[in-house]
Amino acid sequence: MNTSPARLLLSAILPTLVVLLSGCLFSPREPEPPGSGEQITYLPRSSPANVWANIETSLEAANAQGWEDNTSQVEFQYVPDDGTRSAFPGIAWDLWRRPEEVNFINNFYNSGVTITAQMRNDEFTVPENSGTEVIWEDVIYDLSVTNNADSSTTRYRASADITFRLEGNFWYIYLWRDLQGESPPEGGGQLSTMGVLRGTFGSTR
Amino acid sequence: MRRGSRRYGLKPAIALLLGCWLAWGPGRVLAQSGDGAAAADSLAAAADTSTTTMSAMEKALAEATTGSADAQATTQVAADAGPFFVSLKNAPKAGAKANVRQFTYYGELVTDLKFRRNSSVKNNLGWSWEDYRKQDKTVERWDNVFSYQLGQMLPLTTKLDATWNWSEDKTTNTAGVANVSARDQKRIQFSGFKSNFATGSLVNIARFSAGVTDLRSVNLNQNNDVLEGLLDANWQSSLEITEGVAIAGRVYGQVGQGERSLSGADSPSSAQGDTVGFGVYYDRSTANGRVSIARSNFRKKYLDFKKNTNGLIDTVGIDEANKVVQELETKDALGVELVNNFRVGRLGFNTRLTRDTEDQDYAASGIGLRERYQDMMDLGLTFAVGRDSFSVNYNYVWRWDDQQFKGATSPRGRQYTKDRDYDFNYTRRFFKKTDLSLRYHQGLIQDIAQNQHNENDKDRLQTDFSAKLERNWVGKFRANMVYSFGRINDLSIRSTRSSNNNERDSYEISPGYGWDLAPWLSLDQSYRVYIQYTDYDYSDLASATRKDNYNKRGNLATRVNIRPTSRLELKVRHDYNKRFSATKLGVSSTGDPFYNRDENQTISKIDLGFRFEAVPGVTLEGATYRTRDKRVTFGQTEQENINFSGEMWVGTVVRQKWGKQNPVELYAMVRKYNAFGPSVTETSADYWEADAWLKWEF
Repeated sequence: MNTSPARLLLSAILPTLVVLLSGCLFSPREPEPPGSGEQITYLPRSSPANVWANIETSLEAANAQGWEDNTSQVEFQYVPDDGTRSAFPGIAWDLWRRPEEVNFINNFYNSGVTITAQMRNDEFTVPENSGTEVIWEDVIYDLSVTNNADSSTTRYRASADITFRLEGNFWYIYLWRDLQGESPPEGGGQLSTMGVLRGTFGSTR
Repeated sequence: MRRGSRRYGLKPAIALLLGCWLAWGPGRVLAQSGDGAAAADSLAAAADTSTTTMSAMEKALAEATTGSADAQATTQVAADAGPFFVSLKNAPKAGAKANVRQFTYYGELVTDLKFRRNSSVKNNLGWSWEDYRKQDKTVERWDNVFSYQLGQMLPLTTKLDATWNWSEDKTTNTAGVANVSARDQKRIQFSGFKSNFATGSLVNIARFSAGVTDLRSVNLNQNNDVLEGLLDANWQSSLEITEGVAIAGRVYGQVGQGERSLSGADSPSSAQGDTVGFGVYYDRSTANGRVSIARSNFRKKYLDFKKNTNGLIDTVGIDEANKVVQELETKDALGVELVNNFRVGRLGFNTRLTRDTEDQDYAASGIGLRERYQDMMDLGLTFAVGRDSFSVNYNYVWRWDDQQFKGATSPRGRQYTKDRDYDFNYTRRFFKKTDLSLRYHQGLIQDIAQNQHNENDKDRLQTDFSAKLERNWVGKFRANMVYSFGRINDLSIRSTRSSNNNERDSYEISPGYGWDLAPWLSLDQSYRVYIQYTDYDYSDLASATRKDNYNKRGNLATRVNIRPTSRLELKVRHDYNKRFSATKLGVSSTGDPFYNRDENQTISKIDLGFRFEAVPGVTLEGATYRTRDKRVTFGQTEQENINFSGEMWVGTVVRQKWGKQNPVELYAMVRKYNAFGPSVTETSADYWEADAWLKWEF
């Protein structure tokens, strides 16, 4: 019987791989159980409204897991307003996808910040979800970011169009398009969009 | 031809190759140095190109060393002998666009002037006016790009580029606050390039550029003006030390000086930077690769707004006089790379190891000193034998960053990220036109904050397996079956974040087929079932608010394409989705879980589309869809909710061209959209989408 060295090598490597595949290659660390009063309550991603509420929860808890779980797992895209494009010309905004968003939110939360957020204005009427895609037009979000190191606070308020999609069994944010900076309801000049945060803490490859 | 190849051997090929690499490499370094990125990355990227194109370059050289000299001489004679002015071409174009967001009117004039000895002038003047439908916003832009290539008039390749960008963006937000964001930028740059010239055994490339930037801009009533000159140059040399092995080095420097004005404050600005790189490259019969190292640094002095430790502008409650600071930014970067690609027969082994470090310091900003470090390793093994082939890849990334805030006596603590990724792919041809492919992947990403300077330590373990079986009778019938399984473990390590730790198992089964019933009729149908279980690690704690759940969705998609004549195409598509979600109530005595159904949803969507070529150059088209969405939620009372949504558009595309010498071209695409549904707003319910332009070349 003629057996080539290549076939012999293959027959040796394949069983090794099967053994490797049968178990876990990498092991995560053992987490600490949650303490009392340390609950972060996310809603099921069964509607766009719940997804947007989860984004607010993620911001207030500075918990990246909530942000990552509610942005599209396959095709997320962020489109900045013109002011952000001008302020951060070194970032290839057209290439801003999920990896860039995940990188941004982790850098942002890990920078030591405390956030208060209201992700939709009181006047905004939440449209009923129909079909597998829903667009929220002109939703105004408002957040204040306090830097724990020097206690400085910066406020962001802007209008945006948010597109939600049903992927598999759940809703996710598919497209986040910032339109323009808005003024505080109590009056004052125009504030920046979250594009400034993305430009400061994020990057594109 | 053969004699030429033998005489020069591999040496010029490698020299040319290195020349190409070096020519491109420092250009990237220049760009990255300017933007403040690590020069080390640019070296790695540039070196990639050199290795992969090595064989092609050898062939190119063999041809170039014999044929190109003659060809060049012929071209030279022809170019010298012709008239001073060779050609002048103008192409004005004007048009209008519309979509759901904005109307745009635009025009452009492209002028192309060619002279003797390949010298040329190209100018592109453009104008546009944008009027936004939903926002109170208009934008006007003027752009001009001028390029003068001196061709073969000088012994080195030189060109003069000039650009002008002007824009005015007038926006009034929903609170009625108006802002004008205006920008007027002029740039002029003269650059030269000389490649592949020899000095002894060295083959060199030299490049330089000198330019001036004049920028005037205003936004939110704050001016930002820059008037700066920049001069830069680089030199690269390579030497083949033995057959298939070469060494190369490069040096780059830049210097800039000017004036800046920011929010009323004026100050001089300056920039200096340099990069030094060295590498050893080899390409032998069984292996190729490189070892390279690059070091770069820059020092920039400029006006900037006062920033906090995170780099965010922080001018709230600060006197006008103190809002702008004189910044001094310095950066040092080092990059080392080792690449080896080894191949024996059908066995291939690829290795890539890199280390990148970077220190960035701000004298005035609260950011202070930032340090970054990254080690990366990519290992790959490929093997093919008979009808089987497989590949195994392992990637490892270890990186950290640290920061010492301005004025702080010690660093904040390192933020570590550790990524490991393994994947295995196997493909086997079962029998004629039938393939099986398997993929297994596991990856672990860990975020670790030294000294717990934040609470976001977390691990994400992702495991995927998929199997795909495909059969393809070309032009007749295609069938496939996909099975995939995925598991994601999301674990926050700290007690303040761990309440939502969970494990998600996803299953997907997707059979499908495509059938070309006749040359004018095809049918595609696919069915997908997604099932997901989410188990929360702490759902059994009394304080837990999340319960384990189960979700299932089935999707049947049917597509029919009909082409009754060569001018008419019809498409019909139907999507039927049925899904439900359920929450776990408990487990039976035998350990089987009980789930309570929370919601049922059924979505049915039908699309129709047509395209008809009425006469040559004129096409009529249209499409419509209608969706029915029925949701039933279960609880103390059962609620049923039915929504309908839909859209219809009709339009035409006209494309005509008249004349051959000085052609006039017309393109017009016009579509009218009407839509309805719960999330359709006034602006998206009724709008035009169009793009129409007229172009003349003379």
